[in-house]
Amino acid sequence: MTNASIPQMTIDPARKAEQIRSALLMLLPVAIVAVLPLLPFVNDYIIAATVRALIFITLGQAWNVVAGIGGLLSLGHGVFLGLGAYTTGILFNRYGIPPWIGVWAGAAIAMVFALVMGSMTLRMRGVFFALATVAMSLALVQVTRHFVDLTGGSDGLALKFNGNSFWAMQARTPAPFLYAGLVMVAIYYGITRWILKSRFGLEMMAVRDDEVAAAAAGVSVFRTKMLGFLLSAMMTAVAGTLYMQFYMAIDPEAAFGLSQAIQLQLPALLGGLGTAWGPIIGGAVMIFLSEVTNLGATKLEITGLDILVYGCMLLFVVLRAPKGIVGFFTEKRRKS
Amino acid sequence: MAGIEGFLFLALQAIVSGILVGGVYGVLSVGLSLAFGVMRIVNFAHGELVMYGMYVGVIASKGFGIDPLLILPLSFLITALVGVVQYQVVFRHFVGHATLQQLLAAIGCALVLQMVAQILFGADAKTATSVFSGQYTLLGPLFLSQAQIVAFLIAVAATLAVTLLLRSTAWGKAVRAVADDLEAAEIVGINSSYVNIGAFALSTGLAGLAGTVLVTYFPTSPSAGFALMPIIIIATTIGGLGSIGGTFLGGIACGVIQQLTAMLWNSALQDVPLYILLMLFIAFRPTGFFGKRSE
Repeated sequence: MTNASIPQMTIDPARKAEQIRSALLMLLPVAIVAVLPLLPFVNDYIIAATVRALIFITLGQAWNVVAGIGGLLSLGHGVFLGLGAYTTGILFNRYGIPPWIGVWAGAAIAMVFALVMGSMTLRMRGVFFALATVAMSLALVQVTRHFVDLTGGSDGLALKFNGNSFWAMQARTPAPFLYAGLVMVAIYYGITRWILKSRFGLEMMAVRDDEVAAAAAGVSVFRTKMLGFLLSAMMTAVAGTLYMQFYMAIDPEAAFGLSQAIQLQLPALLGGLGTAWGPIIGGAVMIFLSEVTNLGATKLEITGLDILVYGCMLLFVVLRAPKGIVGFFTEKRRKS
Repeated sequence: MAGIEGFLFLALQAIVSGILVGGVYGVLSVGLSLAFGVMRIVNFAHGELVMYGMYVGVIASKGFGIDPLLILPLSFLITALVGVVQYQVVFRHFVGHATLQQLLAAIGCALVLQMVAQILFGADAKTATSVFSGQYTLLGPLFLSQAQIVAFLIAVAATLAVTLLLRSTAWGKAVRAVADDLEAAEIVGINSSYVNIGAFALSTGLAGLAGTVLVTYFPTSPSAGFALMPIIIIATTIGGLGSIGGTFLGGIACGVIQQLTAMLWNSALQDVPLYILLMLFIAFRPTGFFGKRSE
């Protein structure tokens, strides 16, 4: 069965008007972010915070593919973020290879890692897959700390800065990254929408909801999980390159550490797992809350308050709002 | 000493100290294994309770001048109490299924507990001293830390006590019944929620006790618990999730492999073979050496 054989729904005018209205509503945040640098009261600090939000949105969108749509709890997705960031950085610093090429090298390496990890663990129950991803990320923390010559060890790897350069994907001001981030979020949103509608996405969701039933209906469970995992690994590594170009540096904890892996999951969890809008809304909320807490924390002189807030957010979402912000609103809409 | 003799001596030293360290890893992990065996809960915050146990030792030693080893029952009680709260607030909702939500909730707990510790005790590393700390014994050709020997003996005793508790008491039988078949246990009149709270409190209490023992030779900090989680997970998976004795032996295996790697290769990479081993176990024998085969 291909997509073409699914009967097209007839679209009535009222429904079409509704669709146009919601499409315009979607363009509003895009427009606001796009004109942000032109507004008078906006400084580099606000733009940088927005870029951070956009980067974590892309990471959340990538994780959403494997965890939200595929139902696979990858707790070590930092592995792919780190591989993307380190590969781009090392290729640029040592060989002068620009990130435009490095990004694909990073994505390829991340996919090889995902293939090895997936083929060993995806046939097992979910807990073991989760544990294996944790083990892999912690092993990489130790390995990157050890090979100081290549990775810079515990101090991390800093990109060589050559001033503003499109070719080297570097800029003195955060504004260019705003547009890069915006484009990536839009592309990832498109990919997520495509997956949700495609046969592949339907198969992933079938496997997520009931593996046995999906297999009985002719879905190749292992292959579906593997493809989802590979796609998500690639998307995360590409976002990792953007991360590297914006932050200009990475260290083992920021790449492979568990708290980074958790930050990368929160956008999708907060916003709504398995939805196209979830990571976008969740990422914006997450960065907003963490900026506010950090401002408060510097006044109170307490470090790590943002991590405490992340922990509370995680508990709140899991215990009280398992469908996230998007789920909360769609349910309300249905009731009314 | 040179040549093969020297090498064998170093290997023997590594293996013996590996067993001593590994015994403590074992008792750190037994609680996690118990919670999984009975309730299918993977408590990612288990390491945090070990860390709280370590701080109990620090406070006793630095604040009151009491030997941490004398207040083991107290640290057991305190962390068991934290466990009861954790169970009532969070894990009560997830008994029986190690789902995505449950693992995430456990991670949320870990983050909160870790940051609360950082606010309470500060971010810097702290140590505690018992009468055995910093004392060494020559046992034949081997040079061993007394604190580690004592910690190992306590670890063995605690694991044996838990095994006896589960084997021989009526409560232990109820726990095993719930672990085997929840519905059947309820049918014969076992109140599974009491059993679960008790088992979870035992699990976290053991973590705290093990932490207080560990702090006599290993410094603590708010991130110490998270740092211990990999070893705890690996020991549990190698030994067999749900098997108490197996998990203890898994801990010893971890200790020995770490020490041998440090000796033969590099101490900075001492955990890498363990991660590889974990991947191999997950791929080929996810039930570990002693875990139940059927699921």
